[in-house]
Amino acid sequence: MPEFSVIIGPQHPALKEPESFTFWVDGEDVVRAEVRIGYAHRGIEKAAESRTYIQNIPLIERICGICNVAHTICYTQNVEYLYGREIPRRAEFIRTIIEEMNRIHSHLLWIGIAGHEIGFDTLLMYVWRDREVVMDLIEEMTGNRVSTALMTIGGVTRDITPELATRIRRGLDTLEERTKYYEKIAANESTVLARTKEIGILTREEALKHCAVGPTLRASGIKSDVRAEDPYAAHDEVPFEVITTDTCDLFGRVVVRVYETIEAIRQVHYCLDNLPTGPIRIRLPNTPPRGESVSRVEAPRGEDIHYVRSDGTDKPARYKVRAPTLGNLASLVEMLTSKGDYKVCVADIPIILAGIDPCMCCMDRTSRFIEPSSGREWVWTWDQLKKYGRRRKE
Amino acid sequence: MKTESYKESIRKVVEKYGITHISTITGTDSGQTIDVMPHLSCAGIKITFKAAVPKTAAEIDTLTDVLPGAVMYEREVHDLLGVKFKGHPNLARLVLSDDWARDVFPLRKEYKVVRPEPIRKA
Repeated sequence: MPEFSVIIGPQHPALKEPESFTFWVDGEDVVRAEVRIGYAHRGIEKAAESRTYIQNIPLIERICGICNVAHTICYTQNVEYLYGREIPRRAEFIRTIIEEMNRIHSHLLWIGIAGHEIGFDTLLMYVWRDREVVMDLIEEMTGNRVSTALMTIGGVTRDITPELATRIRRGLDTLEERTKYYEKIAANESTVLARTKEIGILTREEALKHCAVGPTLRASGIKSDVRAEDPYAAHDEVPFEVITTDTCDLFGRVVVRVYETIEAIRQVHYCLDNLPTGPIRIRLPNTPPRGESVSRVEAPRGEDIHYVRSDGTDKPARYKVRAPTLGNLASLVEMLTSKGDYKVCVADIPIILAGIDPCMCCMDRTSRFIEPSSGREWVWTWDQLKKYGRRRKE
Repeated sequence: MKTESYKESIRKVVEKYGITHISTITGTDSGQTIDVMPHLSCAGIKITFKAAVPKTAAEIDTLTDVLPGAVMYEREVHDLLGVKFKGHPNLARLVLSDDWARDVFPLRKEYKVVRPEPIRKA
């Protein structure tokens, strides 16, 4: 059997890291995988150098639609470190609330996508219907469904009224009940089990070696979470459990995300119950002093790290962002490579790719299949590849 | 940190504290030099090293044999700032397109962003 090279990608408009993959396939087994990113490199780091610190907030928010809260928290925190000032405690709590609500929406989105990739569209419909609850709450709280525009340097722009807090609590109760139902589905539904158990394996050693982050790392049994290790905002006070599993496969990644959603709901409840009184922002001068700072945040997809250097002007001399998906790419290549008894099928490619949560929802692309020996080639769309995957697994 | 001792110093720290995680590598143009700054983390502590590489001979040892997770980050710095990492397994383009000029590095300060001329004038 000659080796095939399968090219998937690259257009991927939703995320900072759209990817193109080339798979070398021997029959049904993926022998090795290669990754090429950069198709939507927008030069945000360069653009940040020509804007003031305040003008950069909307820019940084647009790095990623789904993780926008994580990026803006990381940015504003970083600039606040430069000033050497602490923000009011109430603002820190509001940041934690919106961050956790963002995590709920991101994880629910992912569970829906995972359902779709494995051919379980009922799960997608149900989860996305319930996700609307948290989207509505975010809209009510910030005025926007997705890009929240809530962060500012020195605090947050909008407060939470007691009436709003009551509505958030009510919405979260519904979500908690529904998420517990999905937890039951994830653990018992035969479609989910058949398509996730022992697929996309990333062992503990490999996860550490390739510096995986977020739920991908925690599903390999490593208890690592920036919120617990290096607390920011109100995470030093809000109790939560770092969820880990040691199955090291896709099933573990589903389980980690479902339980993290429940943990996030609990954290929002705690924040609302213990919301301190006081101002929500402090005014800071336009120009921070000279200096450098590094800040980390646990985004829904994992560790997000930003670096800033100030040269004493109102614009940053350098702004550097590393979003979590880049951290997971090396591990993804590892998951997609057959080793010994562990075989990766072409049919499992979509769900393994989606497993690290790289916003693959927008990836509806053609894949070119090439047979090197005869030069024969044909094109499959992402949908056709998925359908092929489902057929193979039936 | 001196560029000659960059890799060995990091190796010593990594071995002494059992660090496995590299968060990213930042490259920054500081005028005559480019600062290469690997950000490591261990048990909630962030450690940042800084090595100044002269722009005229932008070369430094790779960290990939000390911390394999550095592969992507070194490719990124190589792409955008033109720092060559000696011993890196594959310094191919990562974020820039394949037809981007070989000697133009967008994150260096001498690279100025030029607004494109409007095609049709109002």
